[in-house]
Amino acid sequence: MNDMNRDGELEALFALARKRRPDMSAAEFAFETRLMARLRAREETGSIWAMVSWRLVPFFAVCVAGLALWQAETASDTTDAANIAGLNNPVAADLWSN
Amino acid sequence: MVAAKSPSSDEQLVEATLAGDDGAFAELASRHKGRVFGVAARFAGNAAELEDICQDVFIQAYFKLRQYRRDSPFEHWVLRITTHKCYDYLRKRRRSGGVVSADALLESGYEPRAPEAADPHPDLERLHAALAQLSPKERLVITLLELEERSVQEIAGLTGWSAGNVKVRAFRARAALRKLMENQK
Repeated sequence: MNDMNRDGELEALFALARKRRPDMSAAEFAFETRLMARLRAREETGSIWAMVSWRLVPFFAVCVAGLALWQAETASDTTDAANIAGLNNPVAADLWSN
Repeated sequence: MVAAKSPSSDEQLVEATLAGDDGAFAELASRHKGRVFGVAARFAGNAAELEDICQDVFIQAYFKLRQYRRDSPFEHWVLRITTHKCYDYLRKRRRSGGVVSADALLESGYEPRAPEAADPHPDLERLHAALAQLSPKERLVITLLELEERSVQEIAGLTGWSAGNVKVRAFRARAALRKLMENQK
């Protein structure tokens, strides 16, 4: 019985809340203008970043190419050093001769 | 006699927006802002938050317009985005520690609805303070079901939950709300 009373009270409150919908006219006023201004601002910021990142592409390409050359150079040096070390090592020298 | 220019349909405005006509999107926003504001106002704490939610909804709609399939009206699609934005907003508010006792909310002059109603009703203030204490999922489901008078199927469509899930969450939300209201007395 108590639960039914509480349910009734809740239903009455819901009905009241539904009926008293707040007036939105002030909040909605010129909403499209503000929205479009924000969209334009976002697009401009986005386009600036896109422009900067495209302009940096050649710089990064040169960096990557330089890094690749350096890596190849280092790798060949390491292979040479390993070969020499193998020749100076008697056990390795035996293995090489066999 | 000059024939009145027939207003474009939502689908035509969507096509025009996708073709680069931003004015068409402004027209779409103008048409549907009333419904979006109506739903968002049930969740926003003040006018600034309401504006933020509504702008976020239309910004997402603008950037994801290509994903809009024409199998349902544009309004349904926008309301789905609104529901998700409101839910995200409720979760964010909870994460930032926005959960306080109902008494504290009422004493601090808590603004339950975005724009202030003409004369606040004490029982309604109590209801809104209790709603503010529910979990985001509970608040979302009870608001859509009881205040927006959406059907279980509609809520399932808006939230992406199953109908059974909506019913269970609504039942739990109602029980939690009843308990909170009882504790306030």
